[in-house]
Amino acid sequence: MNIGDTLESKTLAVSQEFINDYADICGDYNTLHVDVEGMKDHPIFGGTIAHGTINVEPVLQAICTAQGTTWPNAGTVIDLQFRAPVKPGMTISSDLKVKEKQGNNLVCDMQVVDQNGGPCVRGTVKL
Amino acid sequence: MEQKFNTDLITQFGPDKMLPELKFAEMEPGWDCGGGTYKITQAEVEKFAKLMGDSNTGSENVPVGMIYIFGLRLCWDRQVFIDQAVRAGDKITFHKPAKVGDTITTKLSVADKKEVTKERDGKVKVTKFLYINMETLNQDGDKITDIVMSFMLPKTMQ
Repeated sequence: MNIGDTLESKTLAVSQEFINDYADICGDYNTLHVDVEGMKDHPIFGGTIAHGTINVEPVLQAICTAQGTTWPNAGTVIDLQFRAPVKPGMTISSDLKVKEKQGNNLVCDMQVVDQNGGPCVRGTVKL
Repeated sequence: MEQKFNTDLITQFGPDKMLPELKFAEMEPGWDCGGGTYKITQAEVEKFAKLMGDSNTGSENVPVGMIYIFGLRLCWDRQVFIDQAVRAGDKITFHKPAKVGDTITTKLSVADKKEVTKERDGKVKVTKFLYINMETLNQDGDKITDIVMSFMLPKTMQ
């Protein structure tokens, strides 16, 4: 890959059922994620939000596809900031673009955006 | 909602004193927040892969998104997620793959902290950040991932 190339984008549709299933696997039942009634009047979110780790999932899948592996190669580093919560009903996609080469490694600008292009996660990935 | 998480999969360890009992000044790098061990069963892997639409089923490596599964429940149980703290970001470094059937150990500790001072309209605003290292190893002691989680602490934090 060369500078300016983009990695294949990965997409995830997030529903409340999806969030509940995720909670059942990881055991994180924080009310922020699963209490649909209780979160309706939340002053900031006005409803439930996905576990932040769900926001990162498309990036993880995009890295594996780009490397042709099922687990990122040793030494792969993701440095990310959470920008906005992901809510049920959103569809999120990864967007990675090679910005520089460092020896044998590629450094990508990375973001995860919602269906309207709004950033949920931003950062860099060293492949 | 009905909680279907299988708590038998996870075993915890760590000191009685939890992070929220500390003042910011006491949150020194290296402070042990405890951790736990987690058995990665075929059933859990299949559930996760199906949920994520992960096509890598059949691989001996577990779906990569499970890196977080190893620690999320522990972070609540070990009270690493402080009330009103905001998750700011993560720095994830990958090492060896986790494999189906592994018994993995996740250790949580304070990695760093900092105070950021900003001046706006003549007012000085100090924001406190805390960094927690979530280190995960397999049964042979090989590292799987290092995840440094950053938190913006609530204004009420002393």
